[in-house]
Amino acid sequence: MTYYLIKRLGVAAITVVLAVSLLYGMIHAVPGDPLSVILGPRATPEMKAELNKRMGLDKPFVIQLGTFFVNVLQGDLGIDVFSEKSVSEIFFGQLPFTVSLIFLAIGWSALLGIPLGCYSAVRRNTLIDKLTGVFSVGTIAIPSFVVALYSLLIFAVWLKWLPAIGAGKEGDFMDRLSHLLLPSFAVGLGWVGYLARLVRASMLEVLGENHIRTARAFGLKESTIVLGYALRLAILPTVALLGVGIGNMLSGAVFAEIVFARPGVGKLIYDSVITRNYPLVMGSVIMTTILFVLFTTVADLISAFLDPRIRENL
Amino acid sequence: MSKSKKTEPGYQQITRRRFVQLSTATTAILMGEAAFPRTSWSADRNILRIRLYSDILNLDPAFIKSKNEDIVNGCTQNKLIAFKPGNKWEWGLQAAEYMKQVSPTRIEFKLKEGIMFSGGFGEMTTEDVKYSYERIADPKTKSPYVSDWSLMEKIEIIDKYKGAIVLSKPFAPLWMTSLPGSSGTIVSKKAMMSVGEKFTTAPPTFSGPYMIKEWKAKQVTVLVQNPAWTGPKPEFKEIQFYPIDDEKTAEIGFEAGDLDFTRISVSSYEMFKTNPVENSNVVNKPSLYYSWLGINAENPVTKDIRVRKAVQMAVDINDVLEAAYFGMAKPATGIIPPGLIGHREKTINPPKANPAGAKKLLAEAGYPDGLDLTLDCLNKTTIITQAQVIQSSLAEAGIRLKVNVHESGQFWVLGSEKEMKEKVKNIQLITNRFSSQPDPYWYTMWFVTEQVGVWNWERFSNAEFDKLHAEAAIEVDPAKRDKMYQRMQDLMEESGCYRFITHESAPTIYRNSIIPAMDPEGVPIVRHFKKA
Repeated sequence: MTYYLIKRLGVAAITVVLAVSLLYGMIHAVPGDPLSVILGPRATPEMKAELNKRMGLDKPFVIQLGTFFVNVLQGDLGIDVFSEKSVSEIFFGQLPFTVSLIFLAIGWSALLGIPLGCYSAVRRNTLIDKLTGVFSVGTIAIPSFVVALYSLLIFAVWLKWLPAIGAGKEGDFMDRLSHLLLPSFAVGLGWVGYLARLVRASMLEVLGENHIRTARAFGLKESTIVLGYALRLAILPTVALLGVGIGNMLSGAVFAEIVFARPGVGKLIYDSVITRNYPLVMGSVIMTTILFVLFTTVADLISAFLDPRIRENL
Repeated sequence: MSKSKKTEPGYQQITRRRFVQLSTATTAILMGEAAFPRTSWSADRNILRIRLYSDILNLDPAFIKSKNEDIVNGCTQNKLIAFKPGNKWEWGLQAAEYMKQVSPTRIEFKLKEGIMFSGGFGEMTTEDVKYSYERIADPKTKSPYVSDWSLMEKIEIIDKYKGAIVLSKPFAPLWMTSLPGSSGTIVSKKAMMSVGEKFTTAPPTFSGPYMIKEWKAKQVTVLVQNPAWTGPKPEFKEIQFYPIDDEKTAEIGFEAGDLDFTRISVSSYEMFKTNPVENSNVVNKPSLYYSWLGINAENPVTKDIRVRKAVQMAVDINDVLEAAYFGMAKPATGIIPPGLIGHREKTINPPKANPAGAKKLLAEAGYPDGLDLTLDCLNKTTIITQAQVIQSSLAEAGIRLKVNVHESGQFWVLGSEKEMKEKVKNIQLITNRFSSQPDPYWYTMWFVTEQVGVWNWERFSNAEFDKLHAEAAIEVDPAKRDKMYQRMQDLMEESGCYRFITHESAPTIYRNSIIPAMDPEGVPIVRHFKKA
């Protein structure tokens, strides 16, 4: 397991360096003058030259990239050109909002999607299975922003049960939670369908295997077979998917953060790209890349922990 | 069998009981929330909640990034004079007891006594005024607003409260932009020195009725009453500014009861008017924005003035406004909006299209079968709609238009020679939209020859225009300035480089539990907000 862990972390480190280099190149390739966007129309050429130098944009691309990685290794993600605050301070100020959104979204979708998939597999070809299938495909098909808008209209505007915008008051848990419910519902709904379909398919495969038949022959209770034996194996692809899903949601959360006017990393990166705030874009991108790789690596490690065959295959 | 499973490493049994426990806990949280709805965000009449279209980034008057910072500074700081709420652009005294223009280049003022800076930074004096304005004017500060004070020679200190603004040349926009605008904000010299003359979102001191309690990036800026304030007690205990860039989100936030005052989209105005949100009012104000269709005077095809004039004639402005602004905006008669010096009553070309006239001009220019042109525009819904209607208008005159939509970073360099080099001449038609301050000087400054290849993307160059722009800046007689700016807009239109579209409109919604105070374009002057 230690050898597997070292190999997996090595792959993760290489992935981070490649992904960030690629993104750095892509951001600089996007046309647009960051100096004009940052300083506004009334900036003098001297001001632009000074900012150009301060942002390191006067240096060749490779030097800029190299300097960026050296600074990152020293824990310096750079300085935001607008607020002149440290990028790490800004990023980590926004991260808890996105992480709480993602975990609540993935949490409730897993809590609903996994049992649904399980139940569907056990009651295969019944009316409930078919209804679950339609529901699953339906939730996958509805775009998240549509869910967001309608949930806002229903729960915030008409029923006035939940707040529409913001993240709630600091230190007030219930206020924070109430501000999280609608965004996490919008972000997580599609995942209910995905997880239900995935778990159903895995369960059907596992339920047809020899050891399940043997367990039945031993006269074990059906619930013990399903929850104790079949689900343990069937859950493996779901664990891997959840790892990738959490990573994907880091970027996917941006729409929820815009529609619900929530703070968060997705919105932070979006705003930074629009304003060509390179230090903030790069600092945030490297951190989200690290988090993405971290989540997928943790998912892989959990899968390897649960299934020895995976450990032997890397 | 069960025992052996529990001792197996990594095994976690999912039992039905555990599943039921988890599900019950989750349901309880959700039900609990539904059972006690809206307890923590209920409306409090002492709290005022206002939407800003973006987060505050830098409150230093020398470096503010948007109007939002000026809205916040308007509550927490003072200027010598400030805009009055209402429908006319007028200023009133704020920190000054009086202001006297004793000669075209000398303005004398006296500060009100007893205006205190919080945090023990003492009383506001002429020294603070001198420091604040000269700091922005000093090129070493590298303030983007240096031009607001570029004609100021010095601030003369007469005594603790009396001083004089001494100009090297008369500067007409001073009274409507530099002084009541963000560059007119007075900071405490002592406080600035204590923070190394630099701050962003945490000012070292406040002199206005409110002060910043906290700023949470991209969440909220909270103001509370300033204990150092010696003027009339402010109406609200707390003001919360929420940064929401999307207008539709802000509208939903208002409908849900989370905001008390917000700008709304032009497309929603009619809906809010006919289907009003309970206990709310909607107002529509003219804005200082100006949008236009630009036609490049140096492009190989559009350099022919007959082609440019044909385009001017072929565009139906009424159709553009109906589609893009739902009929809520009026046609512009130039770049200077109504209510300001220099506003023209009508254009040379009427808003209605004249496709027959356009076709005739095109035939004279050697295009009897029409021609192909391109239009560059920004990827905003309203602007894309404008472009589509222009495309359809031009088609009637035989002009086949290809619309190129650009993302903002890409769009804002299209006419920049520094970025695009010779490609700037590839621009044929372009829709553009600028905002400005309430003085015509700031409207015409982007269209002088010096701005060709910078912000003058139509590459319009006219010696008379340049001369008038320079002269009008130092002309203090409003009637003479009025004529000069009108003539300048005539010149712009006669060049064929411009088809003026609109000044848009600025609809706003607010709860009737408050009496808002707005400048003539609907920007909130929050320190004057009252409870109804």
